[in-house]
Amino acid sequence: MSTLTTLQDIMINDYRLTRAQLAPEAELSSLGIDSLDMLELFFKIEERLGIKIWNEVPGSLRTVHDVVAYVDDLRARQATVRDAPVPDHRVTPP
Amino acid sequence: MQRVAITGLGVVAPLGHRVEDLFTNLLAGRSGIGRLRVSLQEKLHTPIGAAVEFDPDEYFAPQRLRMLDRVSQFALVAVARAIVDSRLDFTKEASERCGVSVGSSMGGALTTDEGYMSLYGERSERVKPYTVLASMTNAPAAWISIDHGLSGPNLTYSTACSSGAVAIGEAARRIRSGDADVMLAGGTEAPLTFGVLRAWEAMRTLATEDRLDVSRSCRPFALDRDGLVLGEGAAFVTLESWEHAIARGAHIHAELSGYGLCTDVGHITRPTVEGQANAMRAALRSAGIPAEAIDYVNAHGTGTQQNDSVETAALKAVFGAHAYAVPVSSTKSMHGHLLGAAGALEFVIAVSSLERGAVPPTMHLDNPDPLCDLDYVVGRGRTDLALRHALSNSFAFGGTNAVLVASAPA
Repeated sequence: MSTLTTLQDIMINDYRLTRAQLAPEAELSSLGIDSLDMLELFFKIEERLGIKIWNEVPGSLRTVHDVVAYVDDLRARQATVRDAPVPDHRVTPP
Repeated sequence: MQRVAITGLGVVAPLGHRVEDLFTNLLAGRSGIGRLRVSLQEKLHTPIGAAVEFDPDEYFAPQRLRMLDRVSQFALVAVARAIVDSRLDFTKEASERCGVSVGSSMGGALTTDEGYMSLYGERSERVKPYTVLASMTNAPAAWISIDHGLSGPNLTYSTACSSGAVAIGEAARRIRSGDADVMLAGGTEAPLTFGVLRAWEAMRTLATEDRLDVSRSCRPFALDRDGLVLGEGAAFVTLESWEHAIARGAHIHAELSGYGLCTDVGHITRPTVEGQANAMRAALRSAGIPAEAIDYVNAHGTGTQQNDSVETAALKAVFGAHAYAVPVSSTKSMHGHLLGAAGALEFVIAVSSLERGAVPPTMHLDNPDPLCDLDYVVGRGRTDLALRHALSNSFAFGGTNAVLVASAPA
């Protein structure tokens, strides 16, 4: 499922919004979503999309599209990390 | 020095959402103690308590609710009731002259418990993002200030079972000193969750369930008392400087005339006669009245072996012969022990006693203890009394003894 659809599904359920209100250009603040709501939003995104967000989410995320782009970037990077070969730290005795 | 007027009362309590209902139920000797429904209760030896009937959806939108532990929900609803009762309009007040003072022993215990269940019980690494905000002990106070726009002092006191009384007493001091015009003060507690109940059981301080009638399980001052019963809820008062209350034509329920504080330093749980007596003496000094002027005592009266005999001895030490004449009751026999909210709820009850000229009973005291030989208003409330001064005791693990005195407005 696309990140946009996942995000929309969560917000429709939790904030009683419609899909039409959640167009990519929609401003989060005008939808009544503040920085604390974002915490919970990302908590659910983590679960649905299997990504991990450890640090502060950037305050520059203003629109639905910004969130989607941020999450897609994380998905891409974390997928790369997952697929990368596990480095071998074993030390060969001399 | 400013006199302190009590102009608003608000509760969310076992036995009532309105002070009138609560007091009527207490006077009639009704008990709010019953079987609890909490998860994992099969692992509890005694799954009993005094729960509040409370549907949070009646008061809060879902989005808001996710951030509020039950302890904050209780506080916000009780304080809103106290504000309505006092007919205060905070838009007309100087915001920085109005403050909040809250007592809570365990803060957002349900949120903490839920987080631990997820992390340790379910071995999940996920914990809700609002866990810190919902469980922090000062959350109830913070939300009150935010909701009502009060930018004066915002304080939370955590002194175990005396937290609510301390919060009210310390708020009164701010008004007395002229530092604040209005203080919303009280206590809130929501401890009825498996983790908390089990921890109290482990201390061996909880009453066993009465086999014939669960509602009779808490028996303060009785020979067969065997512990306290936990309860939940919140109680708040609106405190104002006397001048401020008179200037706006407010109805004054009573004057908060005295507050005494003293600490037992001998032991973390064991109370002392001297410590409790000194707190009562300090409260009487602060009220400027002799012990003989007290017409009603709302006792701490937990129903534990330790407290009730020590409190009785402390009352005798302070009141002398008057100890046998003044009605003393433990309403915990009916509403249970609300921990950090107990002192606030019992102070509201003491104020209501003054206003109504009525004294609620101590229930379930069928077997008198020879060490507890005062007039505990056994089994039946009294009405048509002329009451001028009431004293409310709150003692605590950790030793912080707090005593409040309310006086009929004059």
